[in-house]
Amino acid sequence: MKRFAIALIALTLFAQASWAADTVVRIGYLRNDLHHLAAWTAIEKGFFRMEGLNVEVAGIFNAGPEEMSAFASKSIDMGYLGMAPSVTGVANKAAGIKAVALANSEGSSIIVGKDSPIRDVQGLKGKSVAIPGYSTVQDFLLRKALATVGLDAGKVNIIVVKPPEMIIALGSGQIDAFIAWEPHATKAVTKGIGRVLVQSSEIWPGHPCCVVAVENGFYKDNPAAVKAFAAAHVKAIAYIKNHPDEAVKIGVKYTGMDEDTVQRAMRNITYEHIIKEGDVKEYLQYLIRFGYVKPLDQDAFVRQYVDTPTEGGRNK
Amino acid sequence: MDHTGPLDNKMRRLLNYMPLLVFLIFWQALSSSGAIPENRLPSPAAIAGGLAELIHDGLPPGYGLAGHFAASIKRVLSGALLALVTALPLGMAMAYLGRLGDMLRPFVELLRPVPPLAWVPISILWFGIGDGSAAFLIFLGAFFPILLNTISGVMSINKRLIESSVILGAGKRDLFIKVLVPGAMPSIITGIRIALGIGWMTLVAAEFTGVRSGYGLGYMIMTARDIQRPDLIVSGMAVIGLVGYCMDMLIKMAEQKLLRWS
Repeated sequence: MKRFAIALIALTLFAQASWAADTVVRIGYLRNDLHHLAAWTAIEKGFFRMEGLNVEVAGIFNAGPEEMSAFASKSIDMGYLGMAPSVTGVANKAAGIKAVALANSEGSSIIVGKDSPIRDVQGLKGKSVAIPGYSTVQDFLLRKALATVGLDAGKVNIIVVKPPEMIIALGSGQIDAFIAWEPHATKAVTKGIGRVLVQSSEIWPGHPCCVVAVENGFYKDNPAAVKAFAAAHVKAIAYIKNHPDEAVKIGVKYTGMDEDTVQRAMRNITYEHIIKEGDVKEYLQYLIRFGYVKPLDQDAFVRQYVDTPTEGGRNK
Repeated sequence: MDHTGPLDNKMRRLLNYMPLLVFLIFWQALSSSGAIPENRLPSPAAIAGGLAELIHDGLPPGYGLAGHFAASIKRVLSGALLALVTALPLGMAMAYLGRLGDMLRPFVELLRPVPPLAWVPISILWFGIGDGSAAFLIFLGAFFPILLNTISGVMSINKRLIESSVILGAGKRDLFIKVLVPGAMPSIITGIRIALGIGWMTLVAAEFTGVRSGYGLGYMIMTARDIQRPDLIVSGMAVIGLVGYCMDMLIKMAEQKLLRWS
């Protein structure tokens, strides 16, 4: 009887321990940002659970800098956000994170009014173009597009408008163009307000966009969980590629937008998970050139910022 | 009666700033020792450095602090002026004509509690993302204090004064200009001080959502937030606080000149 009792207690304790083995990971992502489809897919299809992670959505943010503040206050452990704001935040020492995987590449466009006479990037001279914020991926893409056609950014009136207001501003003629991430860009088209001037994939083919980031403290204390998270993320990326219709349904559920918009928007986004260090350096150089970040040791920065467990380390 | 000379008054006023100085020194000590991490709360030294950067480099780079300041002041003054020319006459009318006052009260009481910030989406729909929208939001914030203080100012005038003036043959115009306005002036000026304060606070929220010219103190703070420089955010806040303080002092000085007789 006594041995039975001991066995029962041991079994209970063991069961408790197994339950406790599911690590809680508090995550964040951006509101209505189709670039973060992998996160939603991993949640919906249980990929996180399969890796032994108990994922809790601790925050849905309007923009990258907000999510960086959440990292700084340690309110989230891992999150999906733009490479640009995350690099800015780490370089300006606002928060300490590492990028463990890419979430997507491309997936933004410059939109002009439906009946606008602007035919190409040159036509933006002297016009008002809205960006979602300074030091965003879109800010960089716009300036790169202007530089490519030899147009000085000073000749364009670049203003910051939050994406939900961009479509209204374009429709009422207060701005001549805007650059935003999907699905806002496609929404302007399906609503009949705008048309695509140029896709981001044409400005910088294969440009990285959003990353999967981990807060430094969490990374130090839970390396196994971080690795498991990245593995689930890679599974989600593969799922999106192999089951596009299912992926669209998940996109519709999480953005609240109609299926047509989501389907068309997704065609502009490439879901992949490998971070190229050269790309990180390019972002960093742009941030330094425009004065958003003070000059620093770029190689050291990249080494510290990128840590991809699924590739077993770094990628050139 | 206080037998203090002008030198003693100056000393006393300087002494009032001592606690602030001590507080700043204490804060800097905590930051320097690492007790307060720099990314949670910038130290006073970092804020001062940020201020220098805002003046010298500008934020975003190239947009100097002077330009931001000028744009914001212009918006606040337009909004506040609009509030003054609408709320003052309306307030006097509502106070003098009881029935009108009663009938307009429900509108006032329903609109007053709505914070100007809640009007932002509507304001952008109506006025776009330019100076008009910002001025409208500031107007909303500044209107009610002036209105209510004008009404209470007129109501507080001794009825005997009004009666006597009428008996002595004062016409409507004289009554308004020579009795009601001067009588309500202390209250009206208080209303203007409050209105300007609220208007200035509303400004930051109004500019947060976007501004066509690219200039504005609220817009500048939003940019600091975008590029994640908490030291510049707090420097911007310090500038806003300082300007608000100066505006208030100016009004107090004007008040003393205008109300010399009271």
